[in-house]
Amino acid sequence: MLLDYDRLGWLKVALLGFTALVAAFLLLPVVFIVLLSFGSSRWLAFPPPGWTLKWYEELFADPSWIEAALTSARIATMTAILAVAIGLLASFALVRAQFRGREILRGLLLTPMVLPVVVFAIAIYAFFLKLGLGGTTIGFVVAHTVLALPFAIIPIATALEGFDKSVEDAAIVCGASPIQAKLRITLPSIRIGIFSAAIFSFLASWDEVVVAIFMASPTLQTLPVKIWGSLRSDLTPVIAAASSLLVALTLALMVVTALLRRKLQT
Amino acid sequence: MTQPFLSIRKLRKAFGAFTAVHDVTLDIPKGEFLTFLGPSGSGKSTTLYAIAGFQDPTSGNVLLQGKSLLSVPSHKRNIGMVFQRYTLFPHLSVAENVAFPLRVRRRPDSEIKRKVADMLSLVRLESFAERLPAALSGGQQQRVALARALAYDPPILLMDEPLSALDKKLREEIQAEIRRIHRETGVTILYVTHDQEEALHLSDRIALFRDGRIEQIGTGEDLYLRPATDFVAGFIGNSNFLAAEHLATVDGASTIRLADGSLVSGIHANGSFASGQRARLMIRPEAFHLERSPNTVELAVEIVDVAFYGERRRIVARTGTGQEIDIRPTSAALAAQDVTPSHRAVFFDPGTAFLFPA
Repeated sequence: MLLDYDRLGWLKVALLGFTALVAAFLLLPVVFIVLLSFGSSRWLAFPPPGWTLKWYEELFADPSWIEAALTSARIATMTAILAVAIGLLASFALVRAQFRGREILRGLLLTPMVLPVVVFAIAIYAFFLKLGLGGTTIGFVVAHTVLALPFAIIPIATALEGFDKSVEDAAIVCGASPIQAKLRITLPSIRIGIFSAAIFSFLASWDEVVVAIFMASPTLQTLPVKIWGSLRSDLTPVIAAASSLLVALTLALMVVTALLRRKLQT
Repeated sequence: MTQPFLSIRKLRKAFGAFTAVHDVTLDIPKGEFLTFLGPSGSGKSTTLYAIAGFQDPTSGNVLLQGKSLLSVPSHKRNIGMVFQRYTLFPHLSVAENVAFPLRVRRRPDSEIKRKVADMLSLVRLESFAERLPAALSGGQQQRVALARALAYDPPILLMDEPLSALDKKLREEIQAEIRRIHRETGVTILYVTHDQEEALHLSDRIALFRDGRIEQIGTGEDLYLRPATDFVAGFIGNSNFLAAEHLATVDGASTIRLADGSLVSGIHANGSFASGQRARLMIRPEAFHLERSPNTVELAVEIVDVAFYGERRRIVARTGTGQEIDIRPTSAALAAQDVTPSHRAVFFDPGTAFLFPA
């Protein structure tokens, strides 16, 4: 290859340096937040004058934070279930079926990924206001499912494309009905894709803030909305602690995904 | 009239304007090993898929012991099938793959256990029961697929080019396994292949497909020794075709003139020919001899190349009109002789040659 890493010579150092810089640029804010959440300064001074866990104590002592975290988890779980169920059906249609407008349908289903979120948020806010779904859990889940669908469809459709349909045909010749063959053979064979879809759509809802701000009511707030709201009223390190926990759960889920993928593939 | 075991009646399958299978009619007795042979796109796989239920025929019928299969969905036909591609269930062990058809039939556990053990011993893979398919070679995977297809004692086993993904040595090995398993189980097998050697090696009878029709059906010997058309002659075995002109036929023996002007008589004619009609004379490479003997006629040639193939030698010769022909004398003849470019002629028995319309 023209650009072989091993033959770059001194450029290797430059490349490494540049890569490190980009990584630092992306990660430093997160590192700052985590450090500040353990710092003893009430005014988020950096470097912190001392270290403490009291912001976490305050966080866990406040039922409104716990409430927000549980709301987030509940909505994200329901979103993941719904997105995977719809994503599975949509993937079968997109991968297996031959019909006019299939590419248009694929484009439409993936649109939420590229559409400016705020546009979608305003639209669905106006729409749900009419339906009376604003500020309800169902409204939250429906809106987040639309946003999460591309993240469910992409891994499932990719897995299904890599699965030879003859294997399903073989199950049918063996005596399994077409539904049985899909449940007992096809779904287990593409389980890595389904699992990734579940994690990604959970995360798409878990850290979503724009739509959530429009959907939220005083009694129904997700964790990102609560962080956003607190940020505007008073700047306390409790926010840093809450943000750190948000990041920690996301990170943990990504690690679990990576580990499970490795285990399932061997 | 006794009822045929499996009967294909005027089966037709059209895809839009293209007709893949033209009114194929075929009776298959119980226990037969029948091969559908033909080039790709000749309709052999489409016919097989219609029997399996993956293709709905445009018209015609498929009857098993007198009952039509067409209204029965694939999963209720109780037919065994081995596919061209590897189709083991990737997340199930070898034993569970073989058990799958029995589990969907809700057979008792004790019976499943016994049957799986029987089947794995039939394909000689007992020690692989707990492996996952990904840990098996291609040949082993196809043997497990065979065990799975036979586990529920289907009356018919369909095989769609099951060996085409394997290399030559492995292919021959598994052919021997398939022959043994056919002998031991007595199952009726419909086998699809484009490989004529495989067809000759395995089958009781061969149906040679061409453009959606059966060109000829018969034993391997029938097709090889008594080809009905020049297509059959060209597809089964190697054949030389020489341009000829038909002069006269008396009592089934024809006299022809070859392109180099020589006259040959005593040819077996397929069909009737008019005087002066253009024709093609087919001679098998092994029907040529290097020495003259009674009943043979001479063909003037010049030797172009002699290649050694171990069990036999292959000679390329050129006729007076410049056409290259393929000659493979049997080894007995070869041991006695040395082929040199000084050979100016080869000999053949007109009784082993066939005349086809051009």
